[in-house]
Amino acid sequence: MKLQNFFKFLLFIFFITFSYTSFSKDNINDRYKKLTLELRCMTCQNQSVYDSDSDFAKNIKKIVKEKFKEGLNEKEIKDFLTKRYGEYILLKPYFSSKNLLLWVFPFVLLVLSMLIFIRNLKKN
Amino acid sequence: MKKVTLLLPLILLITVCLFFLLFILFEKDPNNPPSVLLNKNLPLFSSVNLYNDKEYLASEDLKDKYTLINFFASWCAPCKAEHNLFFEIKKEIPDLFIFGISYKDKPSDSKKYLKQEGNPYSFVGVDQEGKIAFEFGVFGLPETYIINNKGKIIFKHAGALTKKIIDDEITKLF
Amino acid sequence: MSSLIGFSSLCFSSIISIIILIPNSITNIKIKSFLFLFRCSTLFVCISFLSLVFAYVSSDFSNFNVFQNSHSDKPLIYKITGAWGNHEGSILLWLSMISIYGFFYSLISKSLNDFKILVLKIQSSLFVIFAMFVIFTSNPFLVNSILVKEGLGLNPILQDPALAIHPPMLYLGYVGFSLVFSLAIASLLRNNNDQDWIIETRRWSMISWVFLTAGIALGSYWAYYELGWGGWWFWDPVENISLMPWITGLALVHSLIMIKGEQAIEKWVVFLAILCFSLSILGTFLVRSGILTSVHSFASDASRGLFILLIFFLTTGFGFLVFLIKSPTKKNKLHLLFINKTSALIINNILMIIAVLTILLGTIYPIIIEVLTNTRVSIGGPYFNSTVLPILLPGFLLMSVAPVLSWQTNKLQKFRIYVIFFIILSAIVSIQSYFTNFNTWGFIGLIIGSWIITASIISIFLRFKFSLSLHYVKIINSFIAHIGVGIMIIGITCSSIYQTEYNFNISVGDEINIDNGVLKFESIDITEEKNYQSLRAYFLLEKEGKLISYIKPGRNYYPVSKMITTEAGIYHDWSKDIYITLGNNNNNIWFVKIYINPLISFIWIGVFIMIFSSIIAIIKK
Repeated sequence: MKLQNFFKFLLFIFFITFSYTSFSKDNINDRYKKLTLELRCMTCQNQSVYDSDSDFAKNIKKIVKEKFKEGLNEKEIKDFLTKRYGEYILLKPYFSSKNLLLWVFPFVLLVLSMLIFIRNLKKN
Repeated sequence: MKKVTLLLPLILLITVCLFFLLFILFEKDPNNPPSVLLNKNLPLFSSVNLYNDKEYLASEDLKDKYTLINFFASWCAPCKAEHNLFFEIKKEIPDLFIFGISYKDKPSDSKKYLKQEGNPYSFVGVDQEGKIAFEFGVFGLPETYIINNKGKIIFKHAGALTKKIIDDEITKLF
Repeated sequence: MSSLIGFSSLCFSSIISIIILIPNSITNIKIKSFLFLFRCSTLFVCISFLSLVFAYVSSDFSNFNVFQNSHSDKPLIYKITGAWGNHEGSILLWLSMISIYGFFYSLISKSLNDFKILVLKIQSSLFVIFAMFVIFTSNPFLVNSILVKEGLGLNPILQDPALAIHPPMLYLGYVGFSLVFSLAIASLLRNNNDQDWIIETRRWSMISWVFLTAGIALGSYWAYYELGWGGWWFWDPVENISLMPWITGLALVHSLIMIKGEQAIEKWVVFLAILCFSLSILGTFLVRSGILTSVHSFASDASRGLFILLIFFLTTGFGFLVFLIKSPTKKNKLHLLFINKTSALIINNILMIIAVLTILLGTIYPIIIEVLTNTRVSIGGPYFNSTVLPILLPGFLLMSVAPVLSWQTNKLQKFRIYVIFFIILSAIVSIQSYFTNFNTWGFIGLIIGSWIITASIISIFLRFKFSLSLHYVKIINSFIAHIGVGIMIIGITCSSIYQTEYNFNISVGDEINIDNGVLKFESIDITEEKNYQSLRAYFLLEKEGKLISYIKPGRNYYPVSKMITTEAGIYHDWSKDIYITLGNNNNNIWFVKIYINPLISFIWIGVFIMIFSSIIAIIKK
């Protein structure tokens, strides 16, 4: 097996495992933990609601639990909170037109640079 | 490498520095995030009078007059620091309805606090569970909002008010 | 008195630095006099800094800075470190280091005199710019206008050994890049075609990088045991700010390797050299201007912010401009194959720069959005974990075999051995994952970390004959460094993904069964220390009836500043940490949080190995 085939094989494996994460199902406890890890404790220096024990964090944790029980999904709860606290409460910004640059930038750079690199490779 | 790619770092530098400059000049305060409710209708709520548990004040009652809403508590030290300023505001803008909301505080403690420090509020509401504050997006004390006579939120400040803020920002709203 | 000496030495050293900037055509200074003057400037700025330290040690409260930040009850060591625990003192330290780096360069450098002078002149210009900043906006020698008997005390969080050394280490890193910057600019201005400056750049960038690594590690370690949050990296703006020059410095050092294979892109190396220091200044700006809140805020001031912004803009702008106008035109024909060493290094560079740009964008994006739309967004850990980590992943993969790749061919010697071991390793990790909770990130982290270590060890044994000598260590040095990274990756993966957390409400006398052992809550102890009151919960850790250790989480109360700090109680073991924080109590029932961090020691071990390896690289043959 040539070295380059081996590397291509490895890249393929990693791609599969990444896709696995995006499609895996989470249970209720994981959902709560995952969401509160992505919410900012607004009275703390730089902690998530999950990690913090402040009054604010405890309050938000209670609200998140209630809303999950009411049947809302993750996005609806985030919307519910951002309507009052603004997007500042999210540690992971929305994927919206305002934040397009933020999310797309690394990916675009990566693809562009890889294309340029491959082009130079072929020139050789 | 073409000259264009060489020019890119300079262009990025100038853009980034411009943003920093504007941020500083606009006097943005990292501790005082702009309210997401600015220019939106005030949220629905109803609050019981601290001194009379049969009397209620609701959001509909505030839709036709200029109101200042101040979230405070007896256990909040910066609230004490800004407390006297409300008497001054009352003097300067007599038509302003000053609405104090006692947040996560025992009614008896709030009453004692107001007796000690004086009561500048036209009405004092009770929000023991913080539900009203939550609707406003309050995350710490004190926080102050101003509502115009069309029921829209036109001002918000997180943290204690100062004379400078009143002179620079509040008086110009009237 | 010390303020007077301090301020006048500072001014004196600035004046000397301005004088040596005057072009040779006017003054006609000989090299010996030039060097003498430069070194005088260093001497005076050091006197200036030492006067400040002296003022702290003698609790001279007539100095306003000492008054604001110190107290006679502070232990001596923290009086000393308090000198740089504030904005003015720390920027004076930064300034002194600019000069000190120039000083050592003037002693060690073997370059031609003309080149040396140019480098030192650029270094002096940087010195003058920052000196103006200190003298006009951040003077630590201001005199107190009122007579005072006592100081305002220092933030108790800063009274800590790790945090005391952390700033000097970091600054030695950041400021070291100033010399790298000067070397790069000097080489551009002189259309330098000789390779000497590359060797010098390599030396000084490695030195800077080592200090920066140590500084970041100290800061991380401090955050771990002091903040009580159970973690050691939070993607806090100030952490990101130190990470950017660190990664760029790493890219620079790797790019310099390409010189050996005659595959260097000189333009790129010069650009990286300029970029490292630019990012350092950007970092200083973001932290001291007050436009970002983080765990680390100095007291800030809009005028200071604007001044540093100006410094950042002028210095970086000048650097980029010189790069634009005078960039080397030699086009090196790169021999690219998939995969040979050149390609691997280039991909490494690409990935690192994209990582840096992503971190930069994430850190300043809230500022951009707030200026444009007057709304505030926030970007925290989850964003960076989703973007930066996946970007770096292929880089880690390449790291495993890059040192043994050939410059010429894309063949790898004894390739089959690598494949066999990789398959064995994947099988082992898969089986392990099957018996514990399977987690994709955990799986990837473990495979990559252990593969880097395995591949490096295979390479060492296949290629190099063992001998107990410095020569042997130097030859296998890159493998050692990568093994360090692999160990660190395993540590990071296990301590974050496989971390377990427990919450308890317990009283004195209770016992908890944890991790094959027993934790006995023995007592609550309150003691009076020199300048604080301490409350500790004594937990006894026992395994199979044998006493292992006491773990003492608690709180400190500092009466002067009326601050309370949480002190985590940590039990360290090579295989895990047991990390306990004490919460509030209700009628003698205490809320206790316990984290078990498996293999977290590997993180510090890995960093230590990386630092060791860099030092080996710096030492001459």
